[in-house]
Parts: sequence; C-alpha cells; structure tokens
Amino acid sequence: MALDVASRARFNLDKAAVLLLDDTPLGMSILVQIVTGLGAKLLYRCTSVEAAQEVAAQHEIDLAIVDAMAPEGKGYDFVEWLRREAQEPNCYTPTLITTAHTPASDIVRARDCGGHFIIKKPIAPIVMLERIIWVAKAGRPFLFTGTYVGPDRRFRDDGPPDGIGRRREDLVKAAAAAEAAASPPEADEPPERSAAS
Amino acid sequence: MTSVRFVFPKPRLNELLRMPGGLPVAEALERAQKNLEAIKPTCTAELLALLELCEASYWNLKDAYDEPAVTELYSLAVKGIGAGEVCGVPSVDIALTSFCDLLDHLRTLKRYDHDAVGVHVRAWRLLMGAGLPAAGAEQILDGLLKVSRRYSAEARATSAA
Repeated sequence: MALDVASRARFNLDKAAVLLLDDTPLGMSILVQIVTGLGAKLLYRCTSVEAAQEVAAQHEIDLAIVDAMAPEGKGYDFVEWLRREAQEPNCYTPTLITTAHTPASDIVRARDCGGHFIIKKPIAPIVMLERIIWVAKAGRPFLFTGTYVGPDRRFRDDGPPDGIGRRREDLVKAAAAAEAAASPPEADEPPERSAAS
Repeated sequence: MTSVRFVFPKPRLNELLRMPGGLPVAEALERAQKNLEAIKPTCTAELLALLELCEASYWNLKDAYDEPAVTELYSLAVKGIGAGEVCGVPSVDIALTSFCDLLDHLRTLKRYDHDAVGVHVRAWRLLMGAGLPAAGAEQILDGLLKVSRRYSAEARATSAA
C-alpha cells in the first residue's frame, strides 16, 4: 500500500466532492491545506455535526474526512449517522476518521461507528493520499447488522477458528473429512477415486 | 438469530481518481507540504495560544480531583496534537499525546496528580522553544512517557472492572 513519494503516477481529485468535519480552526486549516495540495477543489468545510449532516443530506459526497472531535467524539456520531440515516449513495461514502487522541472509553465507538480507516494525527500528506487511494479502490463490502453498519472490518480471511466453522455446511465438510481420514482407501480402488469421494 | 446483509457499493471516487488530468503523486505531495509551510506562522500562534490557556487552567487547579477542569485541560491539549509537526516542533505532538494519555488515565481513576500534569505543561512550553537540542527534547519526552505510563496499568484495570 505504500506510495513512492517520487512517483509520477497520476491521480485526480479535481471533481471529487470532499466533506471535511473538524470543530477546531487549527485542525480544519491543516486538513484543508493537505487536501487542496492533493488537488481537491470541491470542499465542504463543516465545523459541526449538524452542518455536516445538512451537507450530506443535500449533496453527493465522494469522500468524507471526519475528525473524531475528542473528548466528546462527536465525529463518530456523524459517521454512524451517515451510515444509518443518510440516503444512498452517501451512506456508502468512503470515510476517513482522523484522531488526535482516542480516550480509552471511545475505542469501541471508534471501531464500530462505520469509518473505513482511522488516521492518527499528525497527518503526513503521503499518509492521507495513501488512505484516499486505498478507500477508493478497496471495494470492501458493506455490512448491515443490528449493531453495526459500515464497511466489512475483516481485512483477511483466515477461515474459521481451529479450521472448523459453525455453519451446517462447515460441519458436514468437517465430518466428511474426518470420515475420509479414518477409513483407509480400499486396495482395489484407484487412489484418485478414493481421494475424490 | 442476527440477520446480516451485505451490499457491494461501487464508490464514485475510484472513477474520479482515474479521470484524465490530475496530479502526479510527487507534485501533489510537494504542493501539500508547501501549503502546510504557508500556515506555519498562524499554526504556531494558535498552538501558543492553546498553551497559554492550558497554563492558565493548570494554575487554577487545586490538588483535589475536579472532572470538568481535567476535561478542560484534555480538550486544550488534544486540539494541539498534529500542529507540532506543521510548526516544525514534532516533539510537541508526542508530548501532547502523553499529556492526553495522562489526563485520560486520571479521568478513569478519578484522581488528580498536580506534579504529573505540571511537568507536561512545562514540557510543552520548553519544547516550543526553537533552541532546544534534539537530545534534550528526547530526554524530556522520555521523562513524560514514564510519567503518563505510571497510571496506564491501573487505569486499564479500572476500565476492565
């Protein structure tokens, strides 16, 4: 995923509508300088969750960069709202969460609000660009459950724990494998057929 | 049984990034860096203003635990994280992260440690100074991390209970 700082590869943020949410002038200013430097021109700068909700309700957003806004963590509330309440396609908007510090009590909230990525401050322009390219390309499925709405948080498929899943078909497969391992192949059968049964 | 639904959205951002035109990565990063350098003076002024507010809050604090006051200090310190790098004093970001860790632990434990808070506030002021050698900054940061970590295990145990 690492980008080469000297790369001549091109990318185009000209036409992307980017929503920025940060309640501090300092944080917003840094974010704006980075994102405009990377070529974004259409920015919606929001300093409150209410303003961001209004923008998301009225405009199509291609990328959201949301500060967590510690200590209250109102940024997480916005992302959760975006996932659960915003209309399509904004409910699927690639969303990067920036955070200066995450209080211990907010770690679960940060994980479960539905953001694509959390970026720790200070933010280097190259890190921001890497994450933007990654969230655009990743094509992660969205998951809707009673308790979580957002991009699938699993990055790897390691299979079920201990190699045995809990689904019916997993159990059938496991039983067949155990049976095959317990009974040695019959001598008069060709080995290929025995292995396939 | 919990129902789970998967949707496979196609974000428009991917198409937009591939449109003709745009910027080479190297040029974009250079532009972003230049933009950040342009706001260095205002950023430094804002960081110093936050420090002054923090010092004033610290001197008003008593020895007893005062939740709103600790939260106020946390709010000021957290706003500064990220600005240190832009202002050319990246060690300030590390010091402020240590400070926020400490204040978060103290809030969890509902306890106050005037000296531990004070050493962070004074270190912030010291690290903002231009003439501080790198080795000196490293020593300061090392000391701050030791102070904030003193409470981390206890705070974790309290949170878990």
